Amino acid sequence: MFYHLGKTFSRFSTEGKIGICGVSLIILIAVFAPLLSGYPPEKITGKSLEPPSAAHLLGTDELGMDIWAQICYGARMSIFIGLAVACIAGLGGGALGILAGYLGGAADQLLMRTVDVLMALPSFPLLVVISAFMGPSIANVIVILVFFSWAKPARISRSQTLSIKSNTYITAARNFGAGPCYLVRRHILPEVLPILFVLIISITSYAIIAETGLAFLGLGDPTSKSWGMMLHYATGFRSIYFTPFWQWWLLPPLFALIFLLLCLAFISRDLEQVLDPRLRKNGGA
Amino acid sequence: MNEKDRHAIIFRFVLTLLVILALNFFLPRMMPGDPFSTTSSDVQGEDIVVMTEEQREYYISYYGLDRPLPEQFLVYLSNLVQGDLGQSIYYKMPVIQVILLHLPWTILIVLCATALSTVAGVLLGTLSARNRKHGSDRLMMTGLIGFAEIPSFLLGLIILLIFGVYLRLFPLAGAVTPFAHYTSVLDQAGDIAYHAFLPVLTLSLAQLTGVYLLTRNTLITVSTKDYIRTARAKGLGEKTVWTRHALRNALLPVVTRTGFMIGMLMGGAILVESVFSYPGIGSTLRSAVVGRDYPLIQGILLVVAVSILLCNLIVDRVYARLDPRAAD
Repeated sequence: MFYHLGKTFSRFSTEGKIGICGVSLIILIAVFAPLLSGYPPEKITGKSLEPPSAAHLLGTDELGMDIWAQICYGARMSIFIGLAVACIAGLGGGALGILAGYLGGAADQLLMRTVDVLMALPSFPLLVVISAFMGPSIANVIVILVFFSWAKPARISRSQTLSIKSNTYITAARNFGAGPCYLVRRHILPEVLPILFVLIISITSYAIIAETGLAFLGLGDPTSKSWGMMLHYATGFRSIYFTPFWQWWLLPPLFALIFLLLCLAFISRDLEQVLDPRLRKNGGA
Repeated sequence: MNEKDRHAIIFRFVLTLLVILALNFFLPRMMPGDPFSTTSSDVQGEDIVVMTEEQREYYISYYGLDRPLPEQFLVYLSNLVQGDLGQSIYYKMPVIQVILLHLPWTILIVLCATALSTVAGVLLGTLSARNRKHGSDRLMMTGLIGFAEIPSFLLGLIILLIFGVYLRLFPLAGAVTPFAHYTSVLDQAGDIAYHAFLPVLTLSLAQLTGVYLLTRNTLITVSTKDYIRTARAKGLGEKTVWTRHALRNALLPVVTRTGFMIGMLMGGAILVESVFSYPGIGSTLRSAVVGRDYPLIQGILLVVAVSILLCNLIVDRVYARLDPRAAD
């Protein structure tokens, strides 16, 4: 197991290795947030807008809450929302796609027309309106993001299923009496899963970006301290740009987000090549 | 493009539009409660008006909310066609007027960014394709792909912090200098360009990589074609071969992309404008969200969504005209 993982790791490029280390670091910070932060993120633990010091590593915000603690707990929010959306949308959409590709007929047509319309919808403006009406909560944000991101995995896993289904070895297996469950488990899933895995990583970054954007507009969960909400509060603070406060209030969440997104991008670009050389050939659609 | 494809495209356009309209119409009605079920306070926020059951029924029938939903939907559609998007709660004027007031600024920066990123992308892409074997190509590739991964509003924040806050070269907010007196039209145009510079730069950088990669990759594919070899063989200079033979053929997909880009930039402008407090519809949307001005939010969504859909529709049609092969 470990040997296998090590071998896969060594096939990544330098950027990919940086990406894996970076994401692991952020996941560790997220998991051990209570130990690392030193302060609870939503308690007033210092004076208002203190610059970084030994007591408060990254200073405090307007209300005197510790910014390093907010970064640690914010990592939890970003990682959790990103992974939750990506897993539900990736695996759910993938399952629907395999089902549609396998069954064909009316179910397939219905799914594909739905996917067509969903992919043509301008997602961000709609995200804003729907979350404005549904009210800000983490569960709502996840539901809305899943709604907008399951179409791509569904379409790709359907087209993969169709092309696998047309192989002669599937016909042969069927003639030997293989049932649908066996075919999907033994022949289709092993081919589709690696592609779904790459997609899950790209949906994770999409979800993190979308959540940040919504929070930045003021549509995030006000009780949560996600990185997007930190940006929202910091940029919403009057005269933030005329004071030195932006240096420790605005920069940390900004750099944390960019770091996480770049790492995810490095990983997904390498995964495309490591896990599945075919994806490059047919262009991912 | 044959008759059947064209119908399919228009059918999809109409269907998508209907989905957006339906979402816009049903979302507020799916929410619990109605506008009259809560006690409402007047402008001063002091006197609380409690409606009797009778008054409530009166208002519900006055606004047509007691009629069946399909009928309400038809009324909504006919109002839309007449340009009636409702009344903004915050601005106290018709939504359509608020949008028309702010839309020109958005269109300005979106069009400038489209032009800028297309020109720069094609130039860099050509350079990169010509120097494919050299280090400069690799460097450009890695750098620009890295850029593309940063979402435009985060990039905007960084640009704002560097050029606006740290270097103090550009204004932090707004589209014109407040209370300025201009001596000439040129002066005014200069002021507008000065304020639009950072938002346009951000939007262009966000789209640059796409155009760059597309130009580079198409050029590399095209440059292996036989007619390029023929052009070289008949003694044409390297410059003529690249510009007249290779680039002209490689630009076709770039044209398509430019159309889609306008649509994407409209969506991206929402957040980028908020970063720069640029008074387009994006910033208006942010203040509408903060003030819970629902009619305005819906109106802006409709305008943005419809313009994105229209851009995509136009691109499909233009492409068929430009490429005779696609028209067959």
